[in-house]
Amino acid sequence: MNDVVIHTRGLRKDYQMGTQVVRALRGVDLEIKRNEYIAVMGPSGSGKSTLMNLIGCLDTPTDGKYVLNGQAVQDLDDDELARIRNREIGFVFQTFNLLPRASALHNVELPLIYAGVHAKDRIVRARGVLEKVDLADRMDHKPSELSGGQRQRVAIARALVNNPSILLADEPTGNLDSVTSEEIMSVFDELHRVGQTIIMVTHEPHITAHARRVITLRDGMIESRDARADSRPNRV
Amino acid sequence: MKLFEGIWIALQQIWAHKLKSIFTLIGVIIGITFLIAVITVVEGVNRYVQDDFAGSIFGVNTFTVVRRSQVSTGAETEERRRRQARNPYLTMRDVEVVRAAVPNAWRFSYNVDRGLREVTYKERRRRNIRVIGASEGYEMMQGWEVAEGRGLSRLDERRALKVAVIGAEIAERLFPDVSPIGKRIRLGSLRVEVVGTWEKQGGLLGNIRDASILVPFSTYRQSLSRDRNLVEEIQVKMRSKEEMEAAMLEVEAALRRDRKLRPGEENNFWLQTSSDLLSAWETINRILFAAIPGLVSISLVVGGIVIMNIMLLSVAGRIREIGVRKALGARRRDILLQFLAEASTLSVLGAALGVALGIGLGKGVEVLTPLPASVPIWAIGVSLALGLLVGVGSGIYPAYRAARQDPIVALRHE
Repeated sequence: MNDVVIHTRGLRKDYQMGTQVVRALRGVDLEIKRNEYIAVMGPSGSGKSTLMNLIGCLDTPTDGKYVLNGQAVQDLDDDELARIRNREIGFVFQTFNLLPRASALHNVELPLIYAGVHAKDRIVRARGVLEKVDLADRMDHKPSELSGGQRQRVAIARALVNNPSILLADEPTGNLDSVTSEEIMSVFDELHRVGQTIIMVTHEPHITAHARRVITLRDGMIESRDARADSRPNRV
Repeated sequence: MKLFEGIWIALQQIWAHKLKSIFTLIGVIIGITFLIAVITVVEGVNRYVQDDFAGSIFGVNTFTVVRRSQVSTGAETEERRRRQARNPYLTMRDVEVVRAAVPNAWRFSYNVDRGLREVTYKERRRRNIRVIGASEGYEMMQGWEVAEGRGLSRLDERRALKVAVIGAEIAERLFPDVSPIGKRIRLGSLRVEVVGTWEKQGGLLGNIRDASILVPFSTYRQSLSRDRNLVEEIQVKMRSKEEMEAAMLEVEAALRRDRKLRPGEENNFWLQTSSDLLSAWETINRILFAAIPGLVSISLVVGGIVIMNIMLLSVAGRIREIGVRKALGARRRDILLQFLAEASTLSVLGAALGVALGIGLGKGVEVLTPLPASVPIWAIGVSLALGLLVGVGSGIYPAYRAARQDPIVALRHE
């Protein structure tokens, strides 16, 4: 396996809206290496969400090639995509998307359940990641009993529990105040420092500042690739 | 593992919405309660009939000569019933014919027993009792044991003494505080002295023995009978089933000969065995067991529709959750299984509740009525299996709807 985690060539996505065809992505070529920290920007309608859905294997492209961690995924069926999402991708959402009735621990266990991990191992591993995000004392709390920042940390723990190739964060600080935002961003920074590949959708410049590379989309195509001076992988 | 997850979620949901869940499950609960209650009572009576009833009324290897069948089965035609109504009453002559036909009988007895009467002692009275004029050996034939005092003796019979042995219920009613032995009770115009009481039988048939008074056959003929020659029943007990069958043929032949019945003419008497009674009960049983499935399935179908609606609501309210689960790696079948497990847990829980209520109802019937109750294990198994069936049946469509959600759309769902 080489250092390239994501490789796309001519990625296209068309949607049928009534009688009209909306061309959300018009051929995206992208290469993301291991341990990169990338911010994806772009105005609404730029194809940002569509690209993230494709990268996250929630959707399949109309045309083009997508190799994730050495595996071509553009033509996989539903169940195979579910398996890829489970193993390769950790999602962090703007609205946290935790199961409201389940404890923090159980929320973090979920990906392991779908991975078929035995209950004992699940608990050990889920506890481990929750400790990593400093929630060792909140494991039995329900989301409603946690603050916004704590909820997002549970979500990050859930995203990490299956050791995914990429962490895919969609406006992860969009629902948080500025202090909590910084707290969450420092969690991402730390994860990046220890070798995690991170792709983050955002439109806030101060969040973008955390990333090592910014990709801007416009009208379904990559407008600019801002490779920063310090974009070299930060190995530990 | 994912199955447990589904069950666990279902239990949490049910616990969070206890009242709603009860209403959701009411169809299933009622259906299963009814099923279990009826089966419990039927099975209880069944067991009783097979274990005690046939034996205690008729005894093993015993047959009874009667004027007409006392057990009306569904198989019996109205015409036969009417024909039997014209049969002559049994008399002492028949007793002698039968006795002569089975010289090898192990036990032999006969009795008169016409209608229900009233017994009084001072101001106390007990209505609806049976007064039986019993030949020697009748109590032994019936297996009745004396509790206090003595049974009827040969001397009582020979001298037609005015003595009686009374059932436990009568003793309790007339003599709540004192021993009945030696007291004189009144049966219509006849005064008799109580010389003994019968061991209490209790149960469904308790009213037969416990509300009976035995007097010597001769005493009954002299003082209570309208027609001194009449006999109600003749009982013959043999040592084995084969002997009994042979003896029945002998008795049938002897009676036909004595009554000068022509070949081809039907018997104008009836030989009754415990199997008559069992077959009558089996007929009732068959009807009940044919009717139950229909009634139960109606309520289960209704219950299933209610569960399906609730599950559809549940799916609609949890689209976002489905999206999250899919994003985290749940496959279609995982989601399908989860919602199926939820519907099934709900429904099986309802069935379990129904089983508990049904058993309670059955036991209630046992306490409040003389009908015994017995819960067969298979009925519990069938009930829970039905619950599972209803759950899977009503959950499959909602679960399918949940499973085919597009994760992107589901995640954006508000």
